[in-house]
Amino acid sequence: MLMERLNKEDSRPVIPLGHGDPSHFSSFRTAAAAEDAIIDSLRSAKYNCYAPAVGILPARRAIADYLNRDLPYKLSPDDVYLTIGCTQAIEVALAVLVHPGANILLPRPGYPYYEACAAYNGLEFRHFDLLPERDWAVDLNAVEGLADENTVAMVIINPRNPCGNVFSYEHLKKTMTRSWCLDIGDEAYDNLAFGSTPYVPTRVLGSTVPVLTLGLISKKWIVPGWRLGWLVTSDPNGILRESGIIESIKGFLNISSDPATFIQVKLNLSMLEGIDNDMEFCLKLAKEESVIILPGVAMGLKNWLRITFAVEPSSLEEGLTRIKAFCQRHAKKH
Amino acid sequence: MENGPKKWGFQGKQELNAAAATTVRGFLNMLMGNLNKDDSRPVIPLGHGDPSHFPSFATTPAAADAIVDALRQGKYNCYAPTVGILPARRAIADYLNRDLPYKLLADDVYLTIGCTQAIEVVSSVLSRPGANILLPIPGFPYYETCAAYNRLEVRHFDLLPEKGWEVDLDAIETIADENTVAMVIINPGNPCGNVFSYDHLKKVAETARKLGILVIADEVYDSLAFGSTQYVPMRVFGSTVPVLTLGSISKRWIVPGWRLGWLVTSDPNGILQKSGVIDSIIGFLNISSDPATFIQVKLNLSMLEDINDDMEFCLKLAKEESVIILPGIAVGLKNWLRITFAIESSSLEEGLARVKAFCQRHAKKQ
Repeated sequence: MLMERLNKEDSRPVIPLGHGDPSHFSSFRTAAAAEDAIIDSLRSAKYNCYAPAVGILPARRAIADYLNRDLPYKLSPDDVYLTIGCTQAIEVALAVLVHPGANILLPRPGYPYYEACAAYNGLEFRHFDLLPERDWAVDLNAVEGLADENTVAMVIINPRNPCGNVFSYEHLKKTMTRSWCLDIGDEAYDNLAFGSTPYVPTRVLGSTVPVLTLGLISKKWIVPGWRLGWLVTSDPNGILRESGIIESIKGFLNISSDPATFIQVKLNLSMLEGIDNDMEFCLKLAKEESVIILPGVAMGLKNWLRITFAVEPSSLEEGLTRIKAFCQRHAKKH
Repeated sequence: MENGPKKWGFQGKQELNAAAATTVRGFLNMLMGNLNKDDSRPVIPLGHGDPSHFPSFATTPAAADAIVDALRQGKYNCYAPTVGILPARRAIADYLNRDLPYKLLADDVYLTIGCTQAIEVVSSVLSRPGANILLPIPGFPYYETCAAYNRLEVRHFDLLPEKGWEVDLDAIETIADENTVAMVIINPGNPCGNVFSYDHLKKVAETARKLGILVIADEVYDSLAFGSTQYVPMRVFGSTVPVLTLGSISKRWIVPGWRLGWLVTSDPNGILQKSGVIDSIIGFLNISSDPATFIQVKLNLSMLEDINDDMEFCLKLAKEESVIILPGIAVGLKNWLRITFAIESSSLEEGLARVKAFCQRHAKKQ
């Protein structure tokens, strides 16, 4: 809207002070080490395949180690879920929390994507104010008034976006214990804190209130286009597990597609002894011959088998030999 | 825990767990769980389909080189437009135009995170209360998963094994009704591997047109067609019926981990535009975040002449001084201004000098 108002006759260069992505300015280029790391991974040819939905283990371990530096308890790599930027971390958090009638507490001023995401998910949002005259402290009385039995979570952005201030430890604790709901600790700007207050990440208080920590490499490394973020469950008391939130996070990320190939054969069950359908065939084959093939029921075609040929030729031959042995062993005796 | 709540207000969602269990990955996990740990022979995996980690299936060096070049330029570390960068969209349009009687534009192409996300976009954009979608059996289970997640009713039609897995067109006409939004055709077929003939696709297009439904053509395996039937992309019939073409580089280049796919609208008659589907696609992709930085100042409107709020300040500043600042109303703080400092220092100084000149020019005369 603002860009459209520019005066085309003005020959001076436009000065863009409204957005915030500095990554295309040469002063803000990322470190060569970051680029080298990408190139090494690419050239290794080990990562062209589909990755686990939660992200590869070395990355999750690295993030857990990084976040553990300032924690009184320890995170494990299994507490870490890689996401497509912090954007997707927000989407996951809201999608798993929403249920009919639920509400979420959001700061004002805040980061508009929370409102957009909440609206898209049908999650009611209620705003609590940050008080400019008190260095953008949370209006704690307001928070207490807003939270009710349908409140699922409260979002804490620290360092603050857009205000830039940093919560003190005492204020963070008071805020979290005023609402007693799960906290979404948005740490997109962690360690890009200015001013004299020492930065304390929200997850430090994970034993007081469960925290979903959202983070990313975009700001610190100035690579927002690389789309690498994370959602981390900071919950040493296991409340998120008991309530089923962990399962839902995994479920959401695992609603993923799978690769596929093309050879199908129809199973002639009348020729087999003790095998009544494709699932049984495949389960027994796995157990007896250590060969994995997909039962057709997985694609809506019961009693067919789907066998890939996209493996090393020697493996394919070995596999088919084992299948033959299996079929002969299970053939109906005449 | 000190004085915790009586009860926590959050809990997990059963439908997410259920949806995840029906995937191919779910079945494979079950089979892997049944392996005999005492068998010393190597496991032969013939159930999945991602060959990219086998040396025989490594991608071409030219593909890796292209990524390295883009990375080293340092021009692509920034946030990209949500529909994808223009050179990529143009390249895909050129690629898909090779066999078309009409021409696709770069603006008809939307980049997605693999073909997976293309499926998510169409499922979300087309769903509405009471709508249904027609899916093939056998098919690709992710369509069912996505439909379930978006509360889109699924109706299945058979592919006929005795006729080379052609679509049962009579079944389509029977199961479609006024709430049917689309039918999915996967060509080359997954999992059957068949290639549909020109004549059959023409009949599919005519049937869809008669029923008033669009065709979602999943062509993720285009160019990996086997057999003697010549491969014909569904978008060839875009002037008969609107087609949403879904594709990716994953299979052809054996790089499923790179996550690059597309959704392309093949609709020379502009029906998708008129019906609002195009706007919905853009809207879905545009529910995106924006980068942000930290300096805020409160506007003292009493010191300014003829400027009544932050929006007016910013609009006039843009017009008169070619400086862009965000009005606080955009982040829920009316009459504040949000100014970034994350730009080249010389530009920042120039910008602030112009903001000062603007304020002086608009100051209330004492």
